[in-house]
Amino acid sequence: MVVYSFYIFDRHTECIYSKSWLPPAHSGAANGTTTTAKSAADDAKLIFGTVFSLRNMVRKLGGDDDAFVSYRTAHYKLHYYETASNLRLVMLTDTATLSMRNVLHQIYINLWVEYVVKNPLSPVEHKGGAGVRNELFELGLDQFIRGLM
Amino acid sequence: MSYYFAIIGTQDNPLFEYEFGTSKQGGDGQARFNEQARHLNQFILHSSLDIVEEVQWTNGQLYLKVIDRFFTNYISCFMTGGNVKFLLLHQPTATAGGASSSRNSTSVGANPTSPQTEEAIKNFFTEVYENYVKAIMSPFYKVNMEIRSPVFRQRVAAAGRKYL
Amino acid sequence: MASSKASRLGEEVWKTRMDKVNAELVVLTYGTIVAQLCKDFDSDYVEVNKQLDKMGYNIGLRLIEDYLAKSNTVRRCSNFRETAEMIAKVGFKIFLNITPTITNWTSDGKQFSLVFDENPFADFVELPDDGRAQDELWYSNILCGVLRGALEMVQMQVEAHFISDVLRGNDTTEMRISLIRYIDDELPPEDD
Repeated sequence: MVVYSFYIFDRHTECIYSKSWLPPAHSGAANGTTTTAKSAADDAKLIFGTVFSLRNMVRKLGGDDDAFVSYRTAHYKLHYYETASNLRLVMLTDTATLSMRNVLHQIYINLWVEYVVKNPLSPVEHKGGAGVRNELFELGLDQFIRGLM
Repeated sequence: MSYYFAIIGTQDNPLFEYEFGTSKQGGDGQARFNEQARHLNQFILHSSLDIVEEVQWTNGQLYLKVIDRFFTNYISCFMTGGNVKFLLLHQPTATAGGASSSRNSTSVGANPTSPQTEEAIKNFFTEVYENYVKAIMSPFYKVNMEIRSPVFRQRVAAAGRKYL
Repeated sequence: MASSKASRLGEEVWKTRMDKVNAELVVLTYGTIVAQLCKDFDSDYVEVNKQLDKMGYNIGLRLIEDYLAKSNTVRRCSNFRETAEMIAKVGFKIFLNITPTITNWTSDGKQFSLVFDENPFADFVELPDDGRAQDELWYSNILCGVLRGALEMVQMQVEAHFISDVLRGNDTTEMRISLIRYIDDELPPEDD
């Protein structure tokens, strides 16, 4: 199993955290850092647009409870998890991976709530990712994902 | 038997006072202090604070029993851990009338230094102490502030009726 | 049916997943906050109520995430009645170990009351006897803010206020909660 990347979107549809486990050469090639950052932001926007539309479509077809869980292409599989407070977690893995719903749920419970929400100094709204990039969260996430691979 | 109960703060400032009479042996719970001497109660009680300071280190007990006496006025003392003093002045009813002299001498009140009286006063203090702790746990109470809570006053009155 | 399910869930989460803290510590901490606010605002109790509500709101915004994580909630409540059940039997149970009674529904199902038989914040408390606190201060007003903040995060705009309090000499402690509207999902900004 290989995890490619991971994104968190808040209830204001902003991407407040993203992380890639791909080797740098794979994603950015010879581009400068500014273009990489820009393309990463564009990636996040595209991903959100995709999952948001798919989720709305799935709800329209299957009712409110029918959650959109994942989709798969020839090259990757995208896993989606949404909390009742409209926090959206997205993970991209290789195609052979089974459902990561539980993994995303664990990330929410054990890392997000424990290290980000319960940090009294972190803001409630994470504009521009403020408060999310704390050491405990990043370290915990990295270890957790590497433990899976 | 008439009682005058006062709580004295750490700065020797009064926090609470309450006057009552015995409810045992058909007592009506009314204080029967001599009208002329009644205003002296506060003086007598506060003058015993010096004695409290002397005896408070002699044993590790909170209840110091009768510590002072002024004619027929007996002062019992109870110290809280926070150095707040509960003082109770008890005065046996003057033995002029035939009714009071016929009382059993071992009953609470008739003999201010008997073990029964000591025990009764101890129970009274313990109950007041419990309620005192609850009263000062109120967030709006500050240290050494007068206790104005009507609930506390009622509970002191109830403890008085129950034990004295 | 749904009601007993909520009770069971609340009971289970409270027993197995919640960290416990000494009740008197909570009582004294909260009491100190209220007393300090009264002092800071010169016994302007209307303002104190407001500040408590605001504090609660900020707590609620975070507390809801803990609630969702601990209760393993994945599904939204299907109606406001279910929400009320979850608030009383899961929310209050797991955080304060009390279960307020839900009563006085309006016929449109948008307003209800929570009646608190016990209030862990109010142990030992006696309101200041300045003649105004009894009429103006809502001692536990932080709870209104918590509910408002928590429900806003799960897309319900509500209004909550106390209408009676045993501390004031009323027979019961009762909070009124009204649903104003469901908040729509936010849409991504248009790309230029």
